[in-house]
Amino acid sequence: MAKAKGYSDENLSVRLADRYYRTEDASPDFLKNVEKIGMTIAHMCYQCGTCTGSCPSAPRSSYRIRKFVRRAVLGLENDALTDPDLWLCTTCYSCTDRCPRDIAPTDIIMAMRNLAFKREIVPRNFLNTVQFIYKTGHGVPNNDVNRAARVRLGLEAEPETTAKYAEFIPGIQKILDHYGLKDKADEILAEGQ
Amino acid sequence: MVDETKSQKPRVGVYICHCGTNIAGSIDIKELQDFAQTIPNVVLADEYQYMCSTPGQKKIEDAIKEHGLTGIVVAACSPRLHEPTFRTASKEGGLNPFRFEMANIREQNSWVHMHDRQGATDKAKDALKMAVAKASLLEDLFPKSVPVEHSAMVVGAGVGGIQAALDLASSGIKTYLIEKAPTIGGRMSQLDKTFPTLDCSQCILTPKMVDVGRHPNIELMTYTEVEKVEGYIGNFDITLRKKARGVLTPTEAETRGIVGGGCNGCGDCEQVCPVIKPNPFEMGMAPRKAIYIYHPQVVPLIYTVDFDSCVKCGLCVEACGEKKAIDLEQEDEFVTVKVGTAVLAVGYELFPVEKKTEWGYKRYDNVITSLEFERLICASGPTGGKVIRPSDGETPKKIGFVLCAGSRDNTGIGKPYCSRFCCMYSLKHAHQLHEKIPGSQSYLFYMDIRSFGKMYEEFYYRIQDEGAKFIRGRVAKIEEDPITKNPHVLTEDTLLGQPVDIELDMVVLASAVQPTEETNHVRHLFGVSQSMDGWLLEAHPKLNPCGTTTAGVFLAGVCQGPKDIPDTVAQAEGAAAAASIPIHVGEVELEPYFAMCIEEKCAGCGMCVNLCPYSALDLVEKNGRTVMQVTEAKCKGCGTCGGFCPGGAIWMQHFATPQIVAQIDAFLLGGEQ
Repeated sequence: MAKAKGYSDENLSVRLADRYYRTEDASPDFLKNVEKIGMTIAHMCYQCGTCTGSCPSAPRSSYRIRKFVRRAVLGLENDALTDPDLWLCTTCYSCTDRCPRDIAPTDIIMAMRNLAFKREIVPRNFLNTVQFIYKTGHGVPNNDVNRAARVRLGLEAEPETTAKYAEFIPGIQKILDHYGLKDKADEILAEGQ
Repeated sequence: MVDETKSQKPRVGVYICHCGTNIAGSIDIKELQDFAQTIPNVVLADEYQYMCSTPGQKKIEDAIKEHGLTGIVVAACSPRLHEPTFRTASKEGGLNPFRFEMANIREQNSWVHMHDRQGATDKAKDALKMAVAKASLLEDLFPKSVPVEHSAMVVGAGVGGIQAALDLASSGIKTYLIEKAPTIGGRMSQLDKTFPTLDCSQCILTPKMVDVGRHPNIELMTYTEVEKVEGYIGNFDITLRKKARGVLTPTEAETRGIVGGGCNGCGDCEQVCPVIKPNPFEMGMAPRKAIYIYHPQVVPLIYTVDFDSCVKCGLCVEACGEKKAIDLEQEDEFVTVKVGTAVLAVGYELFPVEKKTEWGYKRYDNVITSLEFERLICASGPTGGKVIRPSDGETPKKIGFVLCAGSRDNTGIGKPYCSRFCCMYSLKHAHQLHEKIPGSQSYLFYMDIRSFGKMYEEFYYRIQDEGAKFIRGRVAKIEEDPITKNPHVLTEDTLLGQPVDIELDMVVLASAVQPTEETNHVRHLFGVSQSMDGWLLEAHPKLNPCGTTTAGVFLAGVCQGPKDIPDTVAQAEGAAAAASIPIHVGEVELEPYFAMCIEEKCAGCGMCVNLCPYSALDLVEKNGRTVMQVTEAKCKGCGTCGGFCPGGAIWMQHFATPQIVAQIDAFLLGGEQ
């Protein structure tokens, strides 16, 4: 642009800032990385909306999976990775089931989350989940309410998992340590304190 | 001239075509030309921008005379495109056209190796020296002419088949029109109105149906299937199975000595028949009896007994009385007819959209297909044109139309192609709904509205103006309210970026189309290929859309790929014109690629006779010996016998063993013998 447009009022400048999408906003490797990590053909999307229409999260939130696929195709890395909606996918895979272009939109989201995590963009509750898994082997550990319900149904209080066989927890911890996931989670959480 | 050229040392002229930059862009023409000059037997190596142009051809013609060439090689595109061009040029130059050989350095080289110039050039050298090796050994051949039977066959009597048959017959050709159903008319006769003119489909089709029934040159055979196809262009012997319909036409009755009898379509039999079955013409939404007609306007107006459901109670025979039209013991009959050419117009069927389980077809009462909607809204349909909800018979006020229901689907469940007419008929359905049900509202769920034809975009404008709501989003799911049976359509309005849940009274799925179940069988009978998606394969998608790779067999209508009525009729007229050419010319030239028996070598073992897929070979006694003999007109030059013969006694013309061995030697040894 030859001349920058300015307003004396700072708030007005933000509100009226130009929001064109320009090719230089795009990160050329973003699509490639997303496709590689997600192992899916994001660039074949024809924006039909079947994914968002299938999404149980969409009617209850501002999460629009189709928009994330669009951002992948256009290489809008910052838009995608800094959008908090990225973390609203429940990974139910309904969109992947129904996508007429045989794309796995869920895996596109997972890939983006991977890339976001590398930039330490990740909600705290996800990091808490990492800590839970490290400690108990479960993202959602068994609790008293659940135990009581299981007993009422004639089941053992603890399911056939690390809840019952705590000796397998070190194995899980080894895996998380290998990827440095726990340390990273601890680190980010500590920074936020 | 034959002897003269045979005794000579081969003198081959090589021509390399740039094809603009199609070839020159990826292959080093100069290097190839220099190389060509070093190939044995090459006396001349030239290049030109466009060899297929008049100056390009002139080069060949002049050089043959000037240099006394015995063989021509053009390195250019596929022989499918320009082999005839250069054969003609060779002939003009005074050389037998079969001394021309083509090296394909475009489709099989420059286009697929665009980013490897040296690799492509090296490959072109191989192709070139192999072609020269063959051209050095080519011999004069003389095509055979065979007479063409003055008749044609059209398989399938929908609007495409009807049009093709009318055109062929009106140009003076005896035409057999074959239809497997009891009546002609096909899919078009099931439609209520046609887009964008809103003509009544039956009203514009029935005059043609009547014409077919009355045309002196058309022999209409309904309830008949093709059983066997033998022969070749000009001389097809086609065996037809006339399925037992249990009812005699007046003519058939007369041949049995029943004067004034036969079926007159009165329907007395139908009234007394106790067996009730769903009528496929009404998409199963109305009953028919075991003795039935599809609808009142059938051509021919002859009843048919469905022997799968008939209990042979004989009530119909009684009701028919003196006309004696019904014969419950009738059996299938076979007739063989001879035709010169054939047009296949075998149509389509709907993709079984229940396979896409998310839309709930066949699970939810109020989710129907577009063909069912056509019958519901048609005045002669099962409800007399009153659109009703299947669940409760109420009039639906809000109807959703789901486009691309199974089309443009790469999941392996649906069809990857666009079915091409669903957008337009769904617009038409929306119009009919607004017209028939005051206060109704239509919703079209679409990805793209493909209104590509003449006056189609204008039609789209009109329907939008009528108040149809367009929601740009492919339907993700349909759910049914268990109490009201109202379908809920779940999708995203991609333009708002918002998920929507729309409660409707009824949903119409614009189901994809697919080749009919019998298409594959018919194509095998006629030796026609199919494309990846199962539709019949045309000879060339742009320049020969009606022809097939089997000479004398042509295609019309949706069986070649989805198309609407105007396109089907246009293609049918094209196919009819193409099919009539050999018939009007009266003879066709067969490529002289047939097998020849070298009688001195033939041991008369007869193993080749059974192998031949075309029954072209026989064992005969000659000079006290048993030898094989080829019926040249039947031989297609496939080479099965030549490759098998244990004594090497079969000579495949133009693909002879020495010619092929020379090519292999040229490739492996660089041309050394």
